[in-house]
Amino acid sequence: MSRAYAMNDWYAVADAQTLARGARRTMLLDQDVTVSGTPDAPKVIDDAGRTYPAQFKYGHVWTCLGDAPRSLFDIPEAAEQGRRLVPCGVVRVKCSPLRAVENFLDIAHFPFVHTGILGSEPHTEVAPYKAEIRDEVDEVWATKISFYQPQAAKSAQAGGDTDYQYRVAAPTSAVLYKTCPPKPEAMDVIAIFVQPRSETECDVWPWMALYDDTSDFAGLVQFQQEIFLQDRSILENQRPVKLPLDPKMEIPTRADLTSIAYRRWLKSKGAFYGALTEDA
Amino acid sequence: MLTAPVGLLRDLDPKRVMRAQVGGQDLVIWRASNGDISAWDNRCPHRGMALSHGFVRGNELACLYHGWHYGSSGVCRYIPAHPELEPPATITTTVFSVLIADGVIWVNTEGAATPAPVPIASQPLRSFHVEIQSEGLARACLTVAFEGVAPEQIAPGLYQLGARQVLLLENPLDGGRIQITALTDADAKPVDCAALSRWCDAVRRAAQTKRVAA
Repeated sequence: MSRAYAMNDWYAVADAQTLARGARRTMLLDQDVTVSGTPDAPKVIDDAGRTYPAQFKYGHVWTCLGDAPRSLFDIPEAAEQGRRLVPCGVVRVKCSPLRAVENFLDIAHFPFVHTGILGSEPHTEVAPYKAEIRDEVDEVWATKISFYQPQAAKSAQAGGDTDYQYRVAAPTSAVLYKTCPPKPEAMDVIAIFVQPRSETECDVWPWMALYDDTSDFAGLVQFQQEIFLQDRSILENQRPVKLPLDPKMEIPTRADLTSIAYRRWLKSKGAFYGALTEDA
Repeated sequence: MLTAPVGLLRDLDPKRVMRAQVGGQDLVIWRASNGDISAWDNRCPHRGMALSHGFVRGNELACLYHGWHYGSSGVCRYIPAHPELEPPATITTTVFSVLIADGVIWVNTEGAATPAPVPIASQPLRSFHVEIQSEGLARACLTVAFEGVAPEQIAPGLYQLGARQVLLLENPLDGGRIQITALTDADAKPVDCAALSRWCDAVRRAAQTKRVAA
C-alpha cells in the first residue's frame, strides 16, 4: 500500500446535511477520523485527538491528512450566478477509488449500464475525441466528446446529442461539463468527489452546479443517485479490485483515451493508492 | 486439478449465463442460442468486469459494462463503441475445457475436461450448495432417513436410499462451501425425484445445523 502521494491531497468527507445531523465518524486512507462542526467551522480529528486542516467548499467538508497539503483545486463555475449547487448525498461503493473515477470518465458504458437515460442501443458509437494530460495545470482533460442520450438530464425533454468535457482535477476528484438542456449556450457541471476509505472501498459524493430552475431538489438528487447506483453494480464486480496501471492487464480501445490518459497520469505522479502497479 | 462438476445442463438453458467456481477460479458458464456451452475466466479483458453479469446475443456473450461481444472461441467479435472496427484477434477471454456427460456440466481449468465415471445409469436430480466440509456432508447424509429408512453409503458419494440410489458429485468452493450436483437412477419417476430432492434439502439443513452447533 502506498499512501505517500495520496496523503497530501484533499478529500470530501461530509456534506452540510451530514454535519447538521452531528459528528460523522468515517475512514479516510485507512485511518479513522471524525468530522464535526459547521460549514463555517468544520473540524476533523483522529482518535488520538490530532486535528487536521478542514475547509468547506463545493458543498462539502474537505480535509487532508498529510503534512504538506497541495492546494485544493478550483471549480470556477461554483461561483457563477444562476447556477443551482446540488450536493447529491453519498454512495458507498466497494471498489478502488480510482476505478470509481475512471468509470465516471467513461461514456462507452452509457447504453448498457444507464440504458434509456444516458445512452441506448443502437447509439453506441464513440466518435473520436481528444484526451490529454495538461502538464501546466497537472490535470487530465477530455474534450470534443459528443454522444447521443435519451435523457441527458432531469431537465431534458427529449433525446439528443450531448457534448461532454471531462476534467480530472485530482486523482479522486473529477468534473464533467455537459450540454445544459434548458440553456444550450451554457454547460452543466457534475462532479464526483471520491473519499477513499481504503484502497478497495470508497464513499462517492456527487455534486452538481446546474442551470435548472424547474426540477425540484429531491428529483435532481434522485436522478443522480439512480445513475450512481447503476454504476455501483459494475464497480463492485470488476477484478482486480484495484485499478491496474500496467497497460497489459486490461485492453483498451479508442473510446478509452480518457482512461488511458488517467492511468498514465496516475503512474507518472506515483499516485498509487487504489492502484495495482507492475511490481505489486 | 480434476475435472469438476459445476451443475446440471438442464439448469442452464440456451442464451443463459451462470457463475461457477473450480479450484478457486471464478468462471462464467454460458450457452449460445445454438446450445453450445462455454466456460471462461469470469472477466472481460477490457475493464475486468465479471462476464457472468453479461447477456447472450445470438451465439455471442456480451459484457454488461461496454457490450463487447465474444464468440464461443473466446475471441472478441464486436466493440459497440466502434461498430465499424474489426476487433484485434488478440482480444480474447481465457477459455477452459467444458464437457457435458450424464447431464452434468464438467469443467477443467488446467487441461482437457475428463468427466468422472458415473457408476449408475443416471438422470439429473438437482444442484445445491452446502456450507460444510466433505466429511461433514457424508456424516449428514447417513443421519437423514429417507422414507423411514436409514441411508447406506455404497461408494464415495453414492447412497442407497430405500430402493433408490443417489450420487452426490462434489465441487469444493471458497469459504468452506461445497457445490453438489446430484444424480439418481435413470428409471426414477418424477414423484421419486421430488422425494429425493427433499431428502437433499434435509441433508443440507442437517449438515449446516450441525456445523453451527459445533
